[in-house]
Amino acid sequence: MKDILYYFERDMLRWIRGRISVISALIMPAAWLIFVGLALPTTFSEHYIDFITPGILVLTMLGASLQGGSLLIFDKILGFLNKFLALPSSRESILLGKILFITTRGLIQATVILVLAWALGASLLSPAGILLSYGILALFGILLSAFSTTIALYLSDHDSYAAFNAMVSMPLFFTSSALMPYSVMPSWLAPIAYWNPVSFAIDAIRSLQEGVLAWTRIGGLAVLAALVVAFCVQKFRKVTV
Amino acid sequence: MTIIETSGLTKYYGDLCAVDHLDLSVGNEIFGLLGPNGSGKTTTVLMLTTLLEPTGGSARICGYDTREEAREVRRQISYVPQEMAVDIKLTGRENVAFFAKLYGIPRRDEAVDRVLSMMDLSERADDLVRTYSGGMRRRLELAQALVHEPKVLFLDEPTIGLDVAARRKIWEHIRTLKSRGMTIFVTTHYMDEADHSCDRVAILDRGRVIAVDSPSALRARVGNDIISARVRGQIGDTFPEGITHLGERDNGEIVFSTDHGSEKVPVLFHWLEKRGVSVQSISVREPTLDDVFLSLVTQREEGHGFDDHKFRTMLRRR
Ligand SMILES: Nc1ncnc2c1ncn2[C@@H]1O[C@H](COP(=O)(O)OP(=O)(O)OP(=O)(O)O)[C@@H](O)[C@H]1O
Ligand SMILES: [Mg+2]
Repeated sequence: MKDILYYFERDMLRWIRGRISVISALIMPAAWLIFVGLALPTTFSEHYIDFITPGILVLTMLGASLQGGSLLIFDKILGFLNKFLALPSSRESILLGKILFITTRGLIQATVILVLAWALGASLLSPAGILLSYGILALFGILLSAFSTTIALYLSDHDSYAAFNAMVSMPLFFTSSALMPYSVMPSWLAPIAYWNPVSFAIDAIRSLQEGVLAWTRIGGLAVLAALVVAFCVQKFRKVTV
Repeated sequence: MTIIETSGLTKYYGDLCAVDHLDLSVGNEIFGLLGPNGSGKTTTVLMLTTLLEPTGGSARICGYDTREEAREVRRQISYVPQEMAVDIKLTGRENVAFFAKLYGIPRRDEAVDRVLSMMDLSERADDLVRTYSGGMRRRLELAQALVHEPKVLFLDEPTIGLDVAARRKIWEHIRTLKSRGMTIFVTTHYMDEADHSCDRVAILDRGRVIAVDSPSALRARVGNDIISARVRGQIGDTFPEGITHLGERDNGEIVFSTDHGSEKVPVLFHWLEKRGVSVQSISVREPTLDDVFLSLVTQREEGHGFDDHKFRTMLRRR
């Protein structure tokens, strides 16, 4: 178990010491919020910032998680992964360490958004609501970072990973409930959006704004995350180069 | 005492046979796996370190099977891959401490200090690795690998890309480790380095072991002296009594072996000139492992599939 923390510590140190990457990680989500949240003309909501904030939060986690898969690609290309795999410590802690780091980094970015949204006039959630939002975002981050890190295990170079990333992130985001409510979606899109895991997270956070706990959405996310992590752990245990 | 044992170890990548029925038995020694690029050295090491599933055959490290008891094998070994993988944004000490933590070493700080000083890195231990030279980074990797006191150390091309002084230093460290009882399995394509430092070497060519012995015994197989010549013209395939043609090197040198070098030089010279071959230079030197490799490979290529026994009797007949 401790090994997970050691892997986490390594990635964290490397990230923090790369200063530029920290700054960019904090500015990018802010830019999204400002451009998407304030610049888009809208007709379906009085308070678009309240509507869009959960979408941007989840989008940020999505981007952070998919981006995070490239950490493993680099470990692989540079020879680190081979060294880790030859260690007696359990191999799944490599995966779990990555999940922990990627999700933590995503939550730090999410915090920037929350603060900025509040500064821009979004209504604030109750403390319990904020805590629950973090929980939902963490679940979503775990799900996606497990997925992306395991995909990275099977890809051999950074270009193919970038291609995978683009192929997955765009459709996932645009077929979700991030940008508009189900009521204004085209009829072909609504059912797709409903079953998109990105919407699970967004809808769950939006419900919190109304003081409602969307158990089915949160539960769905939790079950999905548990299944994916269990599957990925199996893959890491058996991996050969 | 057998530390590493392989039997029929084989790896195919699709149709390509990278390692072909490897049978090795390595004791407590510095064992060198030699061979040109692409001969299957890295593939062999990856299988021995449990990172790659063999297509066929098996391997045991300290009695543990690399497939069935992989976890136990990993407790006995350390592996330093061919690429230099150290975190440049971390200090040398942080790099080593990270591995010490993953190995779960008791009294970690002491262990880290000990290996850093063993590798002569104490002074620079708290600098970022970004500022280290190539040789220092390699020694840092060794420090990482040594921190849990493995029984067997696998080094894949430990001296690649280093200058002469740094190489010598790495080999000094390897010999010191051996003298402390560690078994070292090292791959290289620098034959001269293996010649100086390995107790025994296996020569690999296109996935097959073509000879295993101590460097001096291997050198003795090709005779006392080597005559190398640069010529213009076709040398033919018969040569004077007591001179064996070993083959042609990549740099165009024609290599012969003989037991009495300086006496045979004039004989060979006249023989070649008489056949219309003009000799540009000719010299005598001691055999190296390169010559051994050349003679073994030439024989394999000449069609009669290599036969160790035939090779020995042929040399004795000379
Ligand atoms: N993942 C792979 N997929 C397909 N072929 C491979 C793979 N890895 C190695 N090979 C092939 O297997 C053969 C042996 O490769 P290997 O890396 O073991 O050689 P090597 O002796 O370590 O060479 P070098 O001195 O260049 O490191 C080569 O022909 C190589 O092209
Ligand atoms: Mg190699």
